[in-house]
Amino acid sequence: MSFPSQDRRADEKLSEKLGLILGRVGSVRLRLNSLALQHATLYTLAIAIATAAAIYATAYLLSPLAFLIFTPLISLLAILGIVSAIRAGWRMRASAVRAAAIADERAELKGRLSTIIALAHKPNHGTLWSYLVEDTLGYRDEFAPARIERRRISRAIYPFAGAIFLALLALPLSRLRHKPLIAPDAVSDLTVDLDDLHLRAAEPGDESGMQVNADPETMRRLQDKLARENPTGSDATGNSLNSLVNRARDMAGHFQSKLTGQQPPSKQRLNLRLADSGANAQGDQIRRAPDAKKNRHGDVAGQFKQDQPHSGAELNLPRQDDSRPPNKWPTPNRNGENGTELGSGKDNPSNQDAAIDRSIQQGGENGSNGGEGHGIGADPDSLFGAPAASKLGTEGFEIAIEARPIDHGAKGAGHAYVPPKVRTPLNLNQQPDEPVARAAVPAEDRATIKRVFER
Amino acid sequence: MNEVLTETPTVADFARTFRRIQAEIHKVIIGHEQAVEELLSALFAGGHVLIEGVPGTGKTTLVKTLGLALNLSFNRIQFTVDLMPADITGTRVILSGEDGRREFTFQPGPAFCHILLGDEINRATPKTQSALLEAMAELQVTVSGTTYKLEPPYFVMATLNPIEMEGTYPLPEAQLDRFLFKVRLNYPDERELTRIISSTTGPEDAGIEPLFDISDAPQRIEGLKRLVRDVMVAPELEIYAARLVRATQPQNSRFVTDEAKGVHDEMVNRYVMFGSSPRGAQALILGAKVGALLDGRANIAREDIDRIAISGLAHRIMLNYAAHSDGIDAAHIVERVIKSVRAARV
Repeated sequence: MSFPSQDRRADEKLSEKLGLILGRVGSVRLRLNSLALQHATLYTLAIAIATAAAIYATAYLLSPLAFLIFTPLISLLAILGIVSAIRAGWRMRASAVRAAAIADERAELKGRLSTIIALAHKPNHGTLWSYLVEDTLGYRDEFAPARIERRRISRAIYPFAGAIFLALLALPLSRLRHKPLIAPDAVSDLTVDLDDLHLRAAEPGDESGMQVNADPETMRRLQDKLARENPTGSDATGNSLNSLVNRARDMAGHFQSKLTGQQPPSKQRLNLRLADSGANAQGDQIRRAPDAKKNRHGDVAGQFKQDQPHSGAELNLPRQDDSRPPNKWPTPNRNGENGTELGSGKDNPSNQDAAIDRSIQQGGENGSNGGEGHGIGADPDSLFGAPAASKLGTEGFEIAIEARPIDHGAKGAGHAYVPPKVRTPLNLNQQPDEPVARAAVPAEDRATIKRVFER
Repeated sequence: MNEVLTETPTVADFARTFRRIQAEIHKVIIGHEQAVEELLSALFAGGHVLIEGVPGTGKTTLVKTLGLALNLSFNRIQFTVDLMPADITGTRVILSGEDGRREFTFQPGPAFCHILLGDEINRATPKTQSALLEAMAELQVTVSGTTYKLEPPYFVMATLNPIEMEGTYPLPEAQLDRFLFKVRLNYPDERELTRIISSTTGPEDAGIEPLFDISDAPQRIEGLKRLVRDVMVAPELEIYAARLVRATQPQNSRFVTDEAKGVHDEMVNRYVMFGSSPRGAQALILGAKVGALLDGRANIAREDIDRIAISGLAHRIMLNYAAHSDGIDAAHIVERVIKSVRAARV
């Protein structure tokens, strides 16, 4: 028979023991929840950092349109990843019951803790309650937080560190710069007869537009021509789509510029002056603007293409009725499909510069291939000479392979090969080479042309 | 020598008593350790046991030995086709009193005891079989409008002979459901058989020593049964038992109401006609409680439920023809159900 005071003391002891158990389960719960929080936070940060690094890297590596597609995609994936990481962290969180269940499982306590946690707050525990508490407390070392969950830091630290490493890898990309397609101060003269031009709006996604700047009168005439050749009603949808795509591309380009801190590859800019304007005889040239930043307003008229070959958009071809000043550029091989093709046959105006450069280079090569006597080449010292007296060209061509015997020692000394010169007749589809005859160059222009070639 | 128990048995008392009873039984019964444990679990859980086994596997001996070890009253009924309900419950007979007057007097049948063995219960007609229903479920029998209480503990063990099905009457589902566990007795292995031969063919019988005095044996047993009821169950384990039972019920059954919440294995839907009743869940928890006490715990664990699941659920599952033709038995179904419920565990 027990006295009430004994019962009370026993109850107090039991409560104390129960408190110990609940406290340990609380510690386990705290550790589990800490890991869950770390999991969600670190994964979120890892995904965010990796995504930012990827966007940063692609800002350097991709074109604006590709960047425009890639960035929302990777952002969407990142959002999904972050949401799932947060959900996983939320699922990992442990209530007291779950913490007890985990502790039961890991310490092999066979449901003792779960039962205590579940029934601790019920009024009637039954006759075996004290036994359960005592029995469970006997295993208190088994369910210490450090034994239930050893980790204090979530494994999510590894992806987090990986993301930081990726971000560090992406940083050196900031040293890369897009080499401007066109040097801002590059000069190329393009003589275009506006009446011979066929103008149309640029295709969506066309990265090689050209910005044309001109005086208001010229711009107006260009726009008029563009409007005449591309009636609004016939292709309204296409134009609006083009406009949208261009706007999106510009937006992506601006974003890229902000990320990379560098200007987007500028379009080729031309200063346009009318050649067929009687009042301004000098306005027959299309020249590249020296300062690209000042000429951003000619986008609409600048998106044009030239489709007609030999339409008059020729590169520095001398015109008999032209009152403009003499050419500042040497005339490349007329039939060499270099300079003349550039102004007429290329669809993409922005490629004209490159073509011009090529034409210059190839013109020099032609000069040396077609005949050294023409004086057309890259060597400024041999630019000028006496005009050709007669038509050049032959009924065939020669391929000369220069080779020198190389001394390979005793073994190969007697086997040096000297290639013969081969003369190959033309077939029916071939035409004899007709290099442009050297023209007389006015003395006052020679210095200018030489300076250009020296550059 | 009688076991001395304190007035309020403890967990340790229970485990010790249980092991002692097991040891006494195994003096006679060679092998069948799991069957004996399940039999005793059913006894202390307050249920009844259906024992299925081929002839000669010690079914009757097992029950008899149990009665001797517990020092409880024991009766045996051999069920036959012509056995009548009154042969089980008892009947009113005309007896002459001391004053010479004749009057109807109730003569208790063999059901009035602590441990009843119904041998080959499937040989009796359903009417006779169902005479046991009231006794098993409510610990009372009603004869000619008069109800007679049975003295606890009341423990019915019925045996089934699975190979002699000619002229038998399979137990009705309602009666099957009243057995807490169905225990299967298989053939002994060679080592056990050798021991059986040597222990049963010698001159001496194995002496069974009762654990309790005959006067207080029922109270002792009842005290241990109350202790079983005191074992604590976490709510999540009650949910687990409920899920197990629900998972035995085929999804396409018209008796399953909320299909979305059930865990239905494909095998269950294919082979089960009717799943376990709620008594199955009770059997799981009660059997698990006994298992917990044997393990020295005052709370049940998932392992306790799983350990007893086949004995507690298999005989409550009605298989369809496809299962019989494919050679699927209820134990397979229960094993699959345990796996699927564990896999679906959150």
